Amino acid sequence: MVIYEADVPGVGKRYEVETGDTERFVVIVHHDGKREIFRRDHPDADAEKLFEFPAGVSREIVTALQGVDFQPLDLDDVDMPLGNAIMEWVEIPDDSPLAGETIQAAQLRQKTGATVAAIQREDDTLASPKADTVLQPGDILVVIGTRPEQKSFESLIKTGSTETSN
Amino acid sequence: MAGALLLEVGIALVTLALVGALAHRFRQSVIPGYIAAGILVGPYVPTEIGGISLRLVGNSEFVSTVGELGIILLLFFLGLEFNVGTLVANKTRLAKLGGLDLVLNGIMGVLIGYVFGFGVTGIILITGIVYISSSAIITKSLTDAGWLANPESDVILSTLVVEDIVIAVYLAVVSALVLGGGTFAEATMTVVQAFVFLAALAAVAYLGTDYIERIFDVGPDELFVLRIVGVAVLIGAIALSIGVSEAVAAFFVGTAFSETDLIERIEHLVTPLRDIFAAVFFFSIGLSTDLRVVAGVALLLLVAVILTTGTKLISGYASGRVYGLSTLRSTRVGMGLVARGEFSLIIATLASTSAIPVIRNTVPAFAVGYVLVMSLLGTLLIEYEDTISSVLGISP
Repeated sequence: MVIYEADVPGVGKRYEVETGDTERFVVIVHHDGKREIFRRDHPDADAEKLFEFPAGVSREIVTALQGVDFQPLDLDDVDMPLGNAIMEWVEIPDDSPLAGETIQAAQLRQKTGATVAAIQREDDTLASPKADTVLQPGDILVVIGTRPEQKSFESLIKTGSTETSN
Repeated sequence: MAGALLLEVGIALVTLALVGALAHRFRQSVIPGYIAAGILVGPYVPTEIGGISLRLVGNSEFVSTVGELGIILLLFFLGLEFNVGTLVANKTRLAKLGGLDLVLNGIMGVLIGYVFGFGVTGIILITGIVYISSSAIITKSLTDAGWLANPESDVILSTLVVEDIVIAVYLAVVSALVLGGGTFAEATMTVVQAFVFLAALAAVAYLGTDYIERIFDVGPDELFVLRIVGVAVLIGAIALSIGVSEAVAAFFVGTAFSETDLIERIEHLVTPLRDIFAAVFFFSIGLSTDLRVVAGVALLLLVAVILTTGTKLISGYASGRVYGLSTLRSTRVGMGLVARGEFSLIIATLASTSAIPVIRNTVPAFAVGYVLVMSLLGTLLIEYEDTISSVLGISP
Protein backbone atom coordinates (compact mmCIF):
# COMPACT_ATOMS: atom_id res chain seq x y z
CA MET A 1 0.00 0.00 0.00
CA VAL A 2 1.28 3.43 -0.89
CA ILE A 3 0.46 6.52 1.16
CA TYR A 4 1.31 9.85 -0.41
CA GLU A 5 1.97 12.57 2.09
CA ALA A 6 2.16 16.25 1.20
CA ASP A 7 2.30 19.57 2.99
CA VAL A 8 -0.55 21.86 2.10
CA PRO A 9 0.78 25.38 2.71
CA GLY A 10 -1.39 27.34 5.10
CA VAL A 11 -3.74 24.41 5.62
CA GLY A 12 -1.95 21.41 7.06
CA LYS A 13 -1.16 18.01 5.60
CA ARG A 14 -2.71 15.79 2.96
CA TYR A 15 -2.53 12.01 2.87
CA GLU A 16 -3.60 10.01 -0.16
CA VAL A 17 -4.01 6.25 0.02
CA GLU A 18 -4.39 4.06 -3.05
CA THR A 19 -7.39 1.90 -2.32
CA GLY A 20 -8.17 0.44 -5.71
CA ASP A 21 -6.93 0.43 -9.28
CA THR A 22 -7.57 4.13 -9.65
CA GLU A 23 -9.50 5.01 -6.51
CA ARG A 24 -7.89 7.07 -3.82
CA PHE A 25 -8.79 7.87 -0.26
CA VAL A 26 -7.74 11.38 0.73
CA VAL A 27 -7.39 12.75 4.24
CA ILE A 28 -6.67 16.41 4.86
CA VAL A 29 -5.54 17.25 8.37
CA HIS A 30 -5.93 20.95 9.07
CA HIS A 31 -3.69 22.83 11.47
CA ASP A 32 -6.68 23.37 13.76
CA GLY A 33 -7.15 19.61 14.07
CA LYS A 34 -10.08 19.35 11.68
CA ARG A 35 -10.00 16.30 9.41
CA GLU A 36 -11.64 16.09 6.02
CA ILE A 37 -12.11 12.78 4.24
CA PHE A 38 -12.41 12.68 0.46
CA ARG A 39 -12.74 9.96 -2.12
CA ARG A 40 -11.37 10.26 -5.62
CA ASP A 41 -12.79 7.81 -8.11
CA HIS A 42 -10.01 8.08 -10.64
CA PRO A 43 -7.15 10.53 -11.22
CA ASP A 44 -9.29 12.87 -13.36
CA ALA A 45 -12.28 12.90 -11.05
CA ASP A 46 -13.10 15.66 -8.63
CA ALA A 47 -12.64 14.73 -5.03
CA GLU A 48 -15.90 13.95 -3.33
CA LYS A 49 -16.03 15.03 0.28
CA LEU A 50 -17.31 12.23 2.48
CA PHE A 51 -16.82 13.38 6.05
CA GLU A 52 -15.48 16.13 8.19
CA PHE A 53 -14.81 15.92 11.89
CA PRO A 54 -12.79 17.49 14.69
CA ALA A 55 -9.63 15.94 16.11
CA GLY A 56 -11.34 14.16 19.01
CA VAL A 57 -13.87 12.36 16.85
CA SER A 58 -11.21 11.23 14.40
CA ARG A 59 -9.28 9.59 17.24
CA GLU A 60 -12.41 7.66 18.21
CA ILE A 61 -12.80 6.55 14.61
CA VAL A 62 -9.22 5.41 14.42
CA THR A 63 -9.57 3.22 17.52
CA ALA A 64 -12.62 1.67 15.90
CA LEU A 65 -10.72 1.02 12.67
CA GLN A 66 -7.77 -0.38 14.57
CA GLY A 67 -10.05 -2.81 16.37
CA VAL A 68 -9.00 -1.78 19.85
CA ASP A 69 -12.32 -2.84 21.40
CA PHE A 70 -13.43 -5.48 18.94
CA GLN A 71 -11.62 -7.70 16.43
CA PRO A 72 -13.72 -9.55 13.91
CA LEU A 73 -12.85 -13.30 13.89
CA ASP A 74 -10.92 -14.69 11.02
CA LEU A 75 -12.36 -18.22 10.90
CA ASP A 76 -9.18 -19.66 9.40
CA ASP A 77 -7.33 -18.72 12.51
CA VAL A 78 -9.68 -18.58 15.41
CA ASP A 79 -8.58 -18.47 18.97
CA MET A 80 -10.68 -17.65 21.96
CA PRO A 81 -9.23 -17.00 25.40
CA LEU A 82 -10.27 -19.28 28.28
CA GLY A 83 -8.08 -18.13 31.13
CA ASN A 84 -4.58 -19.28 30.21
CA ALA A 85 -5.97 -21.74 27.70
CA ILE A 86 -7.36 -20.89 24.30
CA MET A 87 -9.75 -22.68 22.01
CA GLU A 88 -8.66 -23.46 18.50
CA TRP A 89 -10.13 -25.24 15.50
CA VAL A 90 -7.66 -27.72 14.02
CA GLU A 91 -8.43 -29.59 10.82
CA ILE A 92 -7.05 -33.08 10.25
CA PRO A 93 -5.27 -33.02 6.91
CA ASP A 94 -5.71 -35.91 4.43
CA ASP A 95 -2.13 -37.02 4.91
CA SER A 96 -2.22 -36.83 8.69
CA PRO A 97 -0.45 -39.87 10.22
CA LEU A 98 -3.17 -39.95 12.86
CA ALA A 99 -6.10 -40.27 10.44
CA GLY A 100 -7.88 -43.54 11.10
CA GLU A 101 -6.63 -43.83 14.67
CA THR A 102 -8.82 -43.54 17.74
CA ILE A 103 -8.29 -40.64 20.09
CA GLN A 104 -6.98 -43.09 22.69
CA ALA A 105 -4.44 -44.65 20.31
CA ALA A 106 -3.27 -41.28 19.11
CA GLN A 107 -2.56 -40.32 22.76
CA LEU A 108 -3.48 -36.74 21.98
CA ARG A 109 -3.89 -35.58 25.56
CA GLN A 110 -0.99 -37.54 26.96
CA LYS A 111 1.47 -36.22 24.40
CA THR A 112 0.36 -32.60 24.16
CA GLY A 113 -1.71 -31.74 27.22
CA ALA A 114 -4.49 -30.32 25.03
CA THR A 115 -8.03 -31.68 25.13
CA VAL A 116 -10.36 -32.34 22.23
CA ALA A 117 -13.64 -30.74 23.32
CA ALA A 118 -15.64 -31.51 20.19
CA ILE A 119 -15.32 -32.70 16.63
CA GLN A 120 -17.02 -31.10 13.71
CA ARG A 121 -17.57 -33.70 11.03
CA GLU A 122 -19.38 -32.51 7.93
CA ASP A 123 -22.59 -31.01 9.30
CA ASP A 124 -22.49 -32.91 12.60
CA THR A 125 -20.86 -31.89 15.81
CA LEU A 126 -19.66 -34.65 18.14
CA ALA A 127 -19.53 -33.06 21.57
CA SER A 128 -17.13 -34.60 24.13
CA PRO A 129 -15.79 -37.32 21.80
CA LYS A 130 -15.03 -40.64 23.51
CA ALA A 131 -11.66 -42.35 23.65
CA ASP A 132 -12.68 -44.79 20.92
CA THR A 133 -13.77 -42.11 18.46
CA VAL A 134 -11.87 -42.57 15.20
CA LEU A 135 -10.19 -39.49 13.72
CA GLN A 136 -11.03 -38.96 10.07
CA PRO A 137 -9.39 -36.73 7.46
CA GLY A 138 -11.38 -33.49 7.21
CA ASP A 139 -12.48 -33.59 10.85
CA ILE A 140 -12.25 -30.23 12.54
CA LEU A 141 -11.19 -30.70 16.15
CA VAL A 142 -12.15 -28.10 18.71
CA VAL A 143 -9.09 -28.09 20.94
CA ILE A 144 -8.64 -26.52 24.34
CA GLY A 145 -5.18 -25.88 25.70
CA THR A 146 -2.50 -23.32 26.37
CA ARG A 147 -0.63 -21.80 23.50
CA PRO A 148 2.37 -24.22 23.71
CA GLU A 149 -0.06 -27.15 24.02
CA GLN A 150 -1.93 -25.97 20.93
CA LYS A 151 1.33 -25.73 19.08
CA SER A 152 2.46 -29.25 19.82
CA PHE A 153 -1.09 -30.51 19.15
CA GLU A 154 -1.06 -29.06 15.65
CA SER A 155 2.37 -30.49 15.07
CA LEU A 156 1.23 -33.93 16.25
CA ILE A 157 -1.77 -33.89 13.91
CA LYS A 158 0.33 -32.86 10.92
CA THR A 159 3.54 -34.81 11.43
CA GLY A 160 2.83 -37.45 14.08
CA SER A 161 5.41 -35.85 16.36
CA THR A 162 5.10 -33.16 19.03
CA GLU A 163 8.48 -31.66 18.10
CA THR A 164 7.73 -28.21 16.75
CA SER A 165 10.16 -26.73 14.36
CA ASN A 166 10.40 -22.99 14.58
CA MET B 1 -10.87 58.81 28.93
CA ALA B 2 -10.04 55.13 29.34
CA GLY B 3 -13.79 54.46 29.46
CA ALA B 4 -14.34 56.15 26.10
CA LEU B 5 -11.52 54.17 24.49
CA LEU B 6 -12.79 50.94 25.97
CA LEU B 7 -16.22 51.70 24.55
CA GLU B 8 -14.70 52.21 21.09
CA VAL B 9 -12.85 48.92 21.30
CA GLY B 10 -15.99 47.18 22.47
CA ILE B 11 -18.00 48.63 19.58
CA ALA B 12 -15.27 47.65 17.15
CA LEU B 13 -15.11 44.04 18.34
CA VAL B 14 -18.88 43.56 18.49
CA THR B 15 -19.28 45.06 14.99
CA LEU B 16 -16.61 42.65 13.74
CA ALA B 17 -18.32 39.73 15.42
CA LEU B 18 -21.66 40.62 13.81
CA VAL B 19 -20.20 41.17 10.35
CA GLY B 20 -18.13 37.99 10.66
CA ALA B 21 -21.24 35.98 11.50
CA LEU B 22 -23.08 37.53 8.55
CA ALA B 23 -20.23 36.74 6.13
CA HIS B 24 -20.04 33.21 7.47
CA ARG B 25 -23.77 32.78 7.02
CA PHE B 26 -23.56 33.74 3.35
CA ARG B 27 -20.37 31.75 2.86
CA GLN B 28 -18.38 34.81 1.89
CA SER B 29 -14.91 35.93 2.86
CA VAL B 30 -14.87 37.89 6.11
CA ILE B 31 -12.22 40.35 4.91
CA PRO B 32 -14.45 42.65 2.80
CA GLY B 33 -17.00 42.50 5.61
CA TYR B 34 -14.47 43.67 8.20
CA ILE B 35 -13.40 46.55 5.95
CA ALA B 36 -17.02 47.52 5.30
CA ALA B 37 -17.68 47.44 9.03
CA GLY B 38 -14.83 49.86 9.58
CA ILE B 39 -16.11 52.21 6.89
CA LEU B 40 -19.62 52.11 8.34
CA VAL B 41 -18.78 53.06 11.93
CA GLY B 42 -15.74 55.16 11.08
CA PRO B 43 -15.28 58.93 10.90
CA TYR B 44 -15.95 59.29 7.16
CA VAL B 45 -19.17 59.07 5.13
CA PRO B 46 -21.64 57.49 5.45
CA THR B 47 -21.82 59.03 8.90
CA GLU B 48 -25.56 58.63 9.30
CA ILE B 49 -28.53 56.75 7.94
CA GLY B 50 -31.89 58.53 8.24
CA GLY B 51 -30.57 60.87 10.89
CA ILE B 52 -29.16 58.10 13.07
CA SER B 53 -25.47 58.58 13.58
CA LEU B 54 -23.31 55.65 12.57
CA ARG B 55 -20.17 57.38 13.69
CA LEU B 56 -19.24 55.17 16.57
CA VAL B 57 -15.51 54.85 16.34
CA GLY B 58 -12.92 57.46 15.51
CA ASN B 59 -9.71 56.33 13.86
CA SER B 60 -8.13 55.89 17.24
CA GLU B 61 -4.47 55.30 17.75
CA PHE B 62 -5.31 52.20 19.73
CA VAL B 63 -7.26 50.44 16.98
CA SER B 64 -4.56 51.05 14.41
CA THR B 65 -1.87 49.80 16.81
CA VAL B 66 -3.79 46.57 17.37
CA GLY B 67 -4.15 46.41 13.58
CA GLU B 68 -0.34 46.61 13.34
CA LEU B 69 -0.17 43.53 15.57
CA GLY B 70 -2.45 41.90 13.00
CA ILE B 71 0.01 42.69 10.20
CA ILE B 72 2.90 41.35 12.27
CA LEU B 73 1.13 38.09 13.07
CA LEU B 74 -0.11 37.63 9.46
CA LEU B 75 3.44 37.85 8.17
CA PHE B 76 4.80 35.85 11.09
CA PHE B 77 2.57 32.96 10.02
CA LEU B 78 3.66 33.37 6.45
CA GLY B 79 7.24 32.89 7.61
CA LEU B 80 6.21 30.00 9.83
CA GLU B 81 4.80 28.08 6.88
CA PHE B 82 7.75 28.96 4.71
CA ASN B 83 9.71 25.79 4.06
CA VAL B 84 13.06 26.04 2.32
CA GLY B 85 13.17 22.28 1.75
CA THR B 86 9.89 22.27 -0.18
CA LEU B 87 11.07 25.26 -2.18
CA VAL B 88 14.33 23.67 -3.21
CA ALA B 89 12.68 20.34 -3.99
CA ASN B 90 10.19 22.01 -6.35
CA LYS B 91 12.31 24.89 -7.57
CA THR B 92 11.84 24.34 -11.31
CA ARG B 93 8.11 23.96 -11.01
CA LEU B 94 7.74 26.87 -8.61
CA ALA B 95 9.90 29.08 -10.81
CA LYS B 96 7.65 28.38 -13.80
CA LEU B 97 4.35 28.92 -11.98
CA GLY B 98 5.59 31.88 -9.99
CA GLY B 99 7.31 33.39 -13.02
CA LEU B 100 4.15 33.31 -15.15
CA ASP B 101 2.15 34.79 -12.31
CA LEU B 102 4.68 37.52 -11.53
CA VAL B 103 5.43 38.55 -15.10
CA LEU B 104 1.85 38.70 -16.43
CA ASN B 105 0.29 40.38 -13.42
CA GLY B 106 3.32 42.55 -12.72
CA ILE B 107 3.42 43.93 -16.27
CA MET B 108 -0.29 44.69 -16.11
CA GLY B 109 0.21 46.54 -12.81
CA VAL B 110 3.06 48.60 -14.24
CA LEU B 111 0.99 49.45 -17.32
CA ILE B 112 -2.03 50.55 -15.29
CA GLY B 113 0.10 52.67 -12.95
CA TYR B 114 1.91 54.25 -15.90
CA VAL B 115 -1.22 55.02 -17.94
CA PHE B 116 -2.89 56.64 -14.93
CA GLY B 117 0.07 58.94 -14.53
CA PHE B 118 1.66 57.68 -11.32
CA GLY B 119 5.34 58.22 -10.69
CA VAL B 120 7.83 55.44 -10.02
CA THR B 121 6.85 54.90 -6.38
CA GLY B 122 3.12 54.94 -7.28
CA ILE B 123 3.65 52.43 -10.09
CA ILE B 124 5.60 50.10 -7.80
CA LEU B 125 2.91 50.28 -5.12
CA ILE B 126 0.02 49.68 -7.54
CA THR B 127 1.90 46.80 -9.15
CA GLY B 128 2.32 45.18 -5.75
CA ILE B 129 -1.35 45.68 -4.88
CA VAL B 130 -2.69 44.08 -8.07
CA TYR B 131 -0.06 41.33 -8.25
CA ILE B 132 -0.44 39.64 -4.92
CA SER B 133 -3.32 37.21 -4.34
CA SER B 134 -4.78 36.68 -0.91
CA SER B 135 -3.51 33.54 0.82
CA ALA B 136 -6.10 33.88 3.57
CA ILE B 137 -9.16 34.21 1.33
CA ILE B 138 -8.04 31.66 -1.23
CA THR B 139 -7.07 28.99 1.29
CA LYS B 140 -10.42 29.42 3.01
CA SER B 141 -12.35 29.28 -0.26
CA LEU B 142 -10.48 26.16 -1.41
CA THR B 143 -11.37 24.48 1.86
CA ASP B 144 -15.04 25.46 1.57
CA ALA B 145 -15.27 24.36 -2.06
CA GLY B 146 -13.60 21.02 -1.34
CA TRP B 147 -10.86 21.66 -3.91
CA LEU B 148 -8.08 20.91 -1.46
CA ALA B 149 -8.05 17.25 -2.45
CA ASN B 150 -7.97 18.09 -6.18
CA PRO B 151 -4.82 18.59 -8.26
CA GLU B 152 -5.62 22.25 -9.06
CA SER B 153 -5.13 23.18 -5.41
CA ASP B 154 -1.48 22.11 -5.66
CA VAL B 155 -0.87 24.63 -8.43
CA ILE B 156 -2.86 27.36 -6.70
CA LEU B 157 -1.11 26.90 -3.34
CA SER B 158 2.32 26.59 -4.98
CA THR B 159 1.72 29.91 -6.74
CA LEU B 160 0.78 31.45 -3.41
CA VAL B 161 4.01 30.14 -1.88
CA VAL B 162 6.05 31.92 -4.54
CA GLU B 163 4.00 35.10 -4.09
CA ASP B 164 4.70 34.97 -0.36
CA ILE B 165 8.44 35.05 -0.99
CA VAL B 166 8.14 37.76 -3.61
CA ILE B 167 6.06 39.88 -1.27
CA ALA B 168 8.60 39.52 1.55
CA VAL B 169 11.37 40.81 -0.70
CA TYR B 170 9.04 43.42 -2.21
CA LEU B 171 8.00 44.79 1.19
CA ALA B 172 11.61 44.93 2.31
CA VAL B 173 12.61 47.06 -0.66
CA VAL B 174 9.48 49.16 -1.00
CA SER B 175 9.12 49.97 2.68
CA ALA B 176 12.69 51.16 2.66
CA LEU B 177 11.89 53.32 -0.38
CA VAL B 178 8.69 54.74 1.08
CA LEU B 179 9.84 55.09 4.68
CA GLY B 180 13.26 56.35 3.61
CA GLY B 181 11.72 58.94 1.30
CA GLY B 182 13.87 61.94 0.54
CA THR B 183 16.80 61.76 -1.80
CA PHE B 184 18.03 58.78 -3.73
CA ALA B 185 21.09 58.50 -1.48
CA GLU B 186 18.91 58.43 1.62
CA ALA B 187 16.66 55.80 0.12
CA THR B 188 19.64 53.68 -0.86
CA MET B 189 20.99 54.02 2.66
CA THR B 190 17.69 52.78 4.11
CA VAL B 191 17.60 49.86 1.69
CA VAL B 192 21.14 48.85 2.67
CA GLN B 193 20.29 49.20 6.35
CA ALA B 194 17.15 47.14 5.84
CA PHE B 195 19.03 44.33 4.15
CA VAL B 196 21.76 44.21 6.79
CA PHE B 197 19.11 43.92 9.48
CA LEU B 198 17.14 41.29 7.56
CA ALA B 199 20.28 39.33 6.72
CA ALA B 200 21.09 39.20 10.44
CA LEU B 201 17.57 37.98 11.20
CA ALA B 202 17.76 35.39 8.42
CA ALA B 203 21.10 34.14 9.72
CA VAL B 204 19.67 33.67 13.21
CA ALA B 205 16.61 31.97 11.71
CA TYR B 206 18.74 29.65 9.61
CA LEU B 207 21.47 28.76 12.07
CA GLY B 208 19.65 28.95 15.36
CA THR B 209 16.99 26.25 15.01
CA ASP B 210 18.17 24.10 17.94
CA TYR B 211 18.82 27.09 20.14
CA ILE B 212 15.45 28.67 19.34
CA GLU B 213 13.70 25.42 20.05
CA ARG B 214 15.27 25.23 23.49
CA ILE B 215 14.53 28.84 24.41
CA PHE B 216 10.89 28.73 23.40
CA ASP B 217 9.90 25.22 24.44
CA VAL B 218 8.25 26.05 27.76
CA GLY B 219 5.57 24.01 29.45
CA PRO B 220 2.68 26.36 30.20
CA ASP B 221 0.79 27.49 27.08
CA GLU B 222 0.45 30.97 28.47
CA LEU B 223 4.21 31.50 28.77
CA PHE B 224 4.75 29.94 25.37
CA VAL B 225 2.32 32.31 23.62
CA LEU B 226 3.76 35.30 25.45
CA ARG B 227 7.29 34.46 24.34
CA ILE B 228 6.36 33.90 20.70
CA VAL B 229 4.15 36.96 20.32
CA GLY B 230 6.45 39.09 22.44
CA VAL B 231 9.50 38.34 20.31
CA ALA B 232 7.62 38.79 17.01
CA VAL B 233 6.22 42.17 18.06
CA LEU B 234 9.44 43.42 19.65
CA ILE B 235 11.59 42.57 16.63
CA GLY B 236 8.93 44.08 14.34
CA ALA B 237 9.01 47.29 16.38
CA ILE B 238 12.81 47.46 16.38
CA ALA B 239 12.76 46.95 12.62
CA LEU B 240 10.27 49.77 12.15
CA SER B 241 12.36 52.15 14.25
CA ILE B 242 15.35 51.71 11.95
CA GLY B 243 13.28 52.04 8.78
CA VAL B 244 12.64 48.35 7.99
CA SER B 245 9.13 47.05 7.40
CA GLU B 246 7.84 45.45 10.61
CA ALA B 247 5.93 43.00 8.42
CA VAL B 248 9.09 41.70 6.77
CA ALA B 249 10.88 41.43 10.09
CA ALA B 250 7.95 39.40 11.40
CA PHE B 251 8.21 37.16 8.33
CA PHE B 252 11.81 36.36 9.20
CA VAL B 253 10.94 35.76 12.84
CA GLY B 254 8.36 33.30 11.53
CA THR B 255 10.92 31.48 9.36
CA ALA B 256 13.09 31.03 12.45
CA PHE B 257 10.40 28.74 13.81
CA SER B 258 9.59 26.97 10.56
CA GLU B 259 12.22 24.26 11.08
CA THR B 260 11.50 23.66 14.75
CA ASP B 261 9.15 21.18 16.40
CA LEU B 262 7.22 24.08 17.87
CA ILE B 263 5.35 24.79 14.67
CA GLU B 264 2.22 22.79 15.49
CA ARG B 265 1.94 24.29 18.94
CA ILE B 266 2.23 27.77 17.47
CA GLU B 267 -0.39 27.02 14.81
CA HIS B 268 -2.66 25.73 17.51
CA LEU B 269 -2.22 28.46 20.11
CA VAL B 270 -1.38 31.62 18.20
CA THR B 271 -3.79 31.31 15.24
CA PRO B 272 -6.80 32.62 17.20
CA LEU B 273 -4.74 35.61 18.30
CA ARG B 274 -3.67 36.29 14.71
CA ASP B 275 -7.27 36.07 13.52
CA ILE B 276 -8.57 38.58 16.04
CA PHE B 277 -5.74 41.06 15.44
CA ALA B 278 -6.03 40.64 11.67
CA ALA B 279 -9.75 41.37 11.91
CA VAL B 280 -8.93 44.60 13.73
CA PHE B 281 -6.37 45.39 11.02
CA PHE B 282 -9.01 45.11 8.28
CA PHE B 283 -11.37 47.12 10.44
CA SER B 284 -8.81 49.89 10.93
CA ILE B 285 -8.31 49.98 7.16
CA GLY B 286 -12.05 50.55 6.84
CA LEU B 287 -11.95 53.27 9.50
CA SER B 288 -9.36 55.26 7.61
CA THR B 289 -11.16 54.87 4.29
CA ASP B 290 -13.01 57.85 2.89
CA LEU B 291 -15.48 56.56 0.31
CA ARG B 292 -15.40 59.92 -1.49
CA VAL B 293 -11.72 59.36 -2.26
CA VAL B 294 -12.49 55.82 -3.41
CA ALA B 295 -15.17 57.25 -5.72
CA GLY B 296 -12.51 59.65 -7.00
CA VAL B 297 -10.43 56.73 -8.26
CA ALA B 298 -13.44 54.91 -9.73
CA LEU B 299 -12.06 54.78 -13.26
CA LEU B 300 -8.69 53.46 -12.11
CA LEU B 301 -10.55 50.94 -10.00
CA LEU B 302 -12.75 49.75 -12.85
CA VAL B 303 -9.84 49.37 -15.26
CA ALA B 304 -7.70 47.59 -12.68
CA VAL B 305 -10.49 45.19 -11.69
CA ILE B 306 -11.20 44.16 -15.26
CA LEU B 307 -7.64 43.89 -16.51
CA THR B 308 -6.08 42.23 -13.48
CA THR B 309 -8.91 39.71 -13.19
CA GLY B 310 -8.04 38.88 -16.79
CA THR B 311 -4.32 38.51 -16.16
CA LYS B 312 -4.83 36.29 -13.10
CA LEU B 313 -7.19 34.07 -15.10
CA ILE B 314 -4.65 33.84 -17.91
CA SER B 315 -1.56 33.33 -15.74
CA GLY B 316 -3.43 30.77 -13.64
CA TYR B 317 -4.69 28.94 -16.70
CA ALA B 318 -1.20 28.90 -18.22
CA SER B 319 0.27 27.61 -14.94
CA GLY B 320 -2.28 24.81 -14.87
CA ARG B 321 -1.38 23.88 -18.44
CA VAL B 322 2.35 23.93 -17.70
CA TYR B 323 1.66 21.57 -14.83
CA GLY B 324 -0.28 19.29 -17.17
CA LEU B 325 -3.78 19.92 -15.88
CA SER B 326 -6.93 19.67 -17.99
CA THR B 327 -8.73 22.71 -19.39
CA LEU B 328 -11.26 22.68 -16.57
CA ARG B 329 -8.68 22.39 -13.82
CA SER B 330 -6.43 25.02 -15.39
CA THR B 331 -9.42 27.37 -15.57
CA ARG B 332 -10.01 26.70 -11.89
CA VAL B 333 -6.41 27.62 -11.09
CA GLY B 334 -7.03 31.00 -12.70
CA MET B 335 -10.30 31.51 -10.86
CA GLY B 336 -8.73 30.38 -7.63
CA LEU B 337 -6.07 33.08 -7.75
CA VAL B 338 -8.30 36.10 -8.42
CA ALA B 339 -8.98 37.08 -4.80
CA ARG B 340 -6.76 39.86 -3.45
CA GLY B 341 -6.75 40.74 0.20
CA GLU B 342 -4.48 41.17 3.19
CA PHE B 343 -1.18 41.76 1.39
CA SER B 344 -2.63 44.39 -0.92
CA LEU B 345 -3.90 46.15 2.19
CA ILE B 346 -0.51 45.89 3.91
CA ILE B 347 0.96 47.62 0.85
CA ALA B 348 -1.82 50.22 1.18
CA THR B 349 -0.86 50.85 4.82
CA LEU B 350 2.67 51.38 3.61
CA ALA B 351 1.44 53.78 0.91
CA SER B 352 -0.44 55.83 3.50
CA THR B 353 2.89 56.70 5.14
CA SER B 354 4.36 58.02 1.90
CA ALA B 355 5.70 61.58 1.80
CA ILE B 356 4.14 62.12 -1.63
CA PRO B 357 0.58 63.52 -1.15
CA VAL B 358 -0.91 61.92 -4.31
CA ILE B 359 0.25 58.48 -3.21
CA ARG B 360 -0.74 59.03 0.40
CA ASN B 361 -4.26 60.02 -0.61
CA THR B 362 -5.19 57.92 -3.61
CA VAL B 363 -3.26 54.64 -3.41
CA PRO B 364 -4.75 53.43 -0.10
CA ALA B 365 -8.27 54.36 -1.26
CA PHE B 366 -7.67 52.53 -4.52
CA ALA B 367 -6.36 49.48 -2.63
CA VAL B 368 -9.39 49.34 -0.35
CA GLY B 369 -11.86 49.59 -3.23
CA TYR B 370 -9.85 47.07 -5.22
CA VAL B 371 -9.65 44.55 -2.37
CA LEU B 372 -13.38 44.92 -1.64
CA VAL B 373 -14.22 44.02 -5.24
CA MET B 374 -11.53 41.40 -5.83
CA SER B 375 -12.08 39.53 -2.57
CA LEU B 376 -15.80 39.19 -3.32
CA LEU B 377 -15.19 38.37 -6.96
CA GLY B 378 -12.54 35.77 -6.10
CA THR B 379 -14.76 34.06 -3.54
CA LEU B 380 -17.74 34.05 -5.91
CA LEU B 381 -15.69 32.65 -8.80
CA ILE B 382 -14.65 29.66 -6.69
CA GLU B 383 -18.13 29.20 -5.24
CA TYR B 384 -19.92 29.29 -8.60
CA GLU B 385 -17.14 27.70 -10.66
CA ASP B 386 -19.28 24.76 -11.76
CA THR B 387 -22.06 27.01 -13.06
CA ILE B 388 -19.59 29.28 -14.86
CA SER B 389 -17.70 26.35 -16.37
CA SER B 390 -20.86 24.70 -17.65
CA VAL B 391 -22.04 28.02 -19.18
CA LEU B 392 -18.66 28.35 -20.87
CA GLY B 393 -18.92 24.75 -22.00
CA ILE B 394 -15.76 23.60 -20.20
CA SER B 395 -16.14 20.00 -19.14
CA PRO B 396 -13.75 17.79 -17.24
